[in-house]
Amino acid sequence: MDIVWVGIAVLGCALVILALGRFVWNLRPQREMGGLPVTSLEKLGWVGLAVTSFVGLGLATLVVFEGATGFHEKESSRLIFWALLMSGIGVWAAAWAVIKRRSGETVVDERDRAILARSLSVESVVVLLSLVTWTVTLTEVYWDSGAIPIAYLQLLFWSTLIGGAFGRSLGIVMGYRREISVDA
Amino acid sequence: MPKDRIANHIRRLRFEHGEMTQQDLANKVGCTRQTIIVLEKERYVPSLSLAFRIARVFGHAIEDVFEFVEEH
Repeated sequence: MDIVWVGIAVLGCALVILALGRFVWNLRPQREMGGLPVTSLEKLGWVGLAVTSFVGLGLATLVVFEGATGFHEKESSRLIFWALLMSGIGVWAAAWAVIKRRSGETVVDERDRAILARSLSVESVVVLLSLVTWTVTLTEVYWDSGAIPIAYLQLLFWSTLIGGAFGRSLGIVMGYRREISVDA
Repeated sequence: MPKDRIANHIRRLRFEHGEMTQQDLANKVGCTRQTIIVLEKERYVPSLSLAFRIARVFGHAIEDVFEFVEEH
């Protein structure tokens, strides 16, 4: 019976790797789309990448030094994380205000909106990967005890949220390096 | 299956209209300069409303600016 499950797992992993490979391949930059002036939304995408990387790395560092339970129980850790999160949101909002003021009459046009809509697929993949990783890891680690420490719920939520925002920003930045049409 | 493309004469029309810059055209039709650039490179197919706005700026019918090319 075990061999059946191993077979299913191997097949599942192969399918996931194939699907991810195809997804990443479709995101590859096209040479002829290089060297274009940067739009407001693209600038915001780069800011989003920087902010989410900063906040995500901050959360990871806190968890590495304090442990998941320590991060949940220590008020100082939670305060540091909230400060990181709020400063990240503040930087993003300030950047958007500056970009909007400095740009010309048109801040976001139909092509920007199409790229923004397509970036949702990257966000969805990152969110799905995050949830699958957390579910499989926690299930495997805490299978014997039959209970998962509540501290992991917060980590699961924040990492998925930050990962999703990172994915959306990545989708925007990559979107400008690919052809798109309004009916895409 | 044939691969169709939408060709356009935006670059030529800009120069025929007092060497209008890409930014001027972008401002007139309400899009970004990057969109005008990718349109001229034929790397983006605009919506019908943007195509009409561009044609109107040049005072031409839409089919004089955009052309449907069927490639076999």
